[in-house]
Amino acid sequence: MIQFSSVSKTYGSGKDAVQALSGIDFTIETGEIYGVIGFSGAGKSSLIRCVNLLERPTEGTIKIHDKDITALSKKEVRETRKDIGMIFQHFNLLNSKTVYHNVAMPLLLLGENKQKVKSRVADLLDFVGLGDKADQYPDQLSGGQKQRVGIARALATNPSVLLCDEATSALDPETTQSILELLRKINKAYKITILMITHEMGVIREICDKVAVLESGSIIEQGTVFDVFTNPQHRTTQKFVRSIMNDGLPESILKEINQKENNHIYRLQFTGSTTGYPLLSRVSREFTLDLNVLYGNITELQGIPYGNLIVEFIGERADIQRALLSIQQQHITVKDVIQDAG
Amino acid sequence: MLVDSSQIIEALWETLWMVGFSLLFSALIGLPLGILLVITRKGHLWEHASLFNVLNGVVNIFRSVPFIILLVAIVPVTRFIVGTSIGTAATIVPLVFYAGPYIARLIENSLLEVDKGVIEAAEAMGAAPHQIIFRFLIPEALSSLVLALTIATVGLVGASAMAGAVGGGGLGDLAITYGYQRFDTTTMYITLGILIVMVQGLQTTGNLMSKRIRRS
Repeated sequence: MIQFSSVSKTYGSGKDAVQALSGIDFTIETGEIYGVIGFSGAGKSSLIRCVNLLERPTEGTIKIHDKDITALSKKEVRETRKDIGMIFQHFNLLNSKTVYHNVAMPLLLLGENKQKVKSRVADLLDFVGLGDKADQYPDQLSGGQKQRVGIARALATNPSVLLCDEATSALDPETTQSILELLRKINKAYKITILMITHEMGVIREICDKVAVLESGSIIEQGTVFDVFTNPQHRTTQKFVRSIMNDGLPESILKEINQKENNHIYRLQFTGSTTGYPLLSRVSREFTLDLNVLYGNITELQGIPYGNLIVEFIGERADIQRALLSIQQQHITVKDVIQDAG
Repeated sequence: MLVDSSQIIEALWETLWMVGFSLLFSALIGLPLGILLVITRKGHLWEHASLFNVLNGVVNIFRSVPFIILLVAIVPVTRFIVGTSIGTAATIVPLVFYAGPYIARLIENSLLEVDKGVIEAAEAMGAAPHQIIFRFLIPEALSSLVLALTIATVGLVGASAMAGAVGGGGLGDLAITYGYQRFDTTTMYITLGILIVMVQGLQTTGNLMSKRIRRS
């Protein structure tokens, strides 16, 4: 478990002081994959570096497994870091060393005996799918392979926490997928707690259990990925969600709608089991309305189907009102698109 | 020609001897000094503003004195260390004062080129400062460090020739006393030829070693 309590970080002092983080409060449960998303400059980098004290918080405490790491001595901090693996956007491998040596490094620092290191590194390289690359140098590998080396290196000391600093941001979409799959596999196999920072909402949707949105050094929204994606509260969060959920109306349709008067267009959000229900045809029959579907999609979030329909209701105003009430009783969220459009 | 081949061979040995020992001692001074100049910097492993400023200043002072002046200026120091201020052994002292700070600067430059991310990764895996220096910083910079030492060695060959001015011996001494002062053109050309071959050889060896270390 990782607990942030009122964590603040200020760089510089006096007039030049820059506040990177302020009043950060959140908890990551053991075994969870927790994503922190934000635009560049939001403070993500500082936040993740506070967990292994590459950056020291100016105020507040961070507890890992109930131990306050901000109170530790330098030596104790180094010990603690061996329980926290970290991978980086630009991999940060030693270019002068082979893949084998890079992965072995954390163990060599501990003074482990050669035989033990050898078998451990071989296991790790097999696990990340690079069993045949032990003698190659980083500049002979692709970006995805380099990140796999980074992951193997981060896991060498059997840490209970893995920090991912924009780990897929330098990779193409396909490689990103394979690295995310590997991270999920690690999370399952080793029950390792993962904290990742990213600016890609797709990464969050793909593997995170919970998400926090960071803006100007503060967390503006947090919750399960399902809740935040289906019901984003803050404008920035909505922007992030729209960036991948594609649930906004196309420009041309929006224009058409705005030209018509007296139209009734609503967004219907289904979750879970209601996704499979033949709602529209029933409503159309029962309330003698014509329904025109302008847009629709179904995505899966954390294994739960989530549907999104934008429907134009054509008919008597009173009938429409009754129809909407009836829909809402089915635990379907109804939003007025014209008011909601942004 | 006013000199015979045995004199030239002796002079060659003196040069090699001077360059070799002064390289050894100036590297022994320059390497730690260069490392200190890097790690005491702001935001680095062992940030220490006052120590950095002192070292930086001292290196700059030695770097600004022309070698021929340094040679004379530190005569008392030379006399204190080797007991005399003339001869081959005596020239090693000013050569070290000249090349030590120079090597420190070259080393500093090489080490600064190491990707900050690598150092961050080292810190993140719980490496102690000495482990970061010897297991990350130096291995990553090694190929560039070899080139830096090659530059310093070639510089020392040139400086050692100037040491002829204080009777230091070596090829430079031969070229000045016979070739220059007694108009012995043949000796001049022979010594220059040997110096050229020596510098070419050093640079080629340095380049090869550096390339082998880089492994790309």
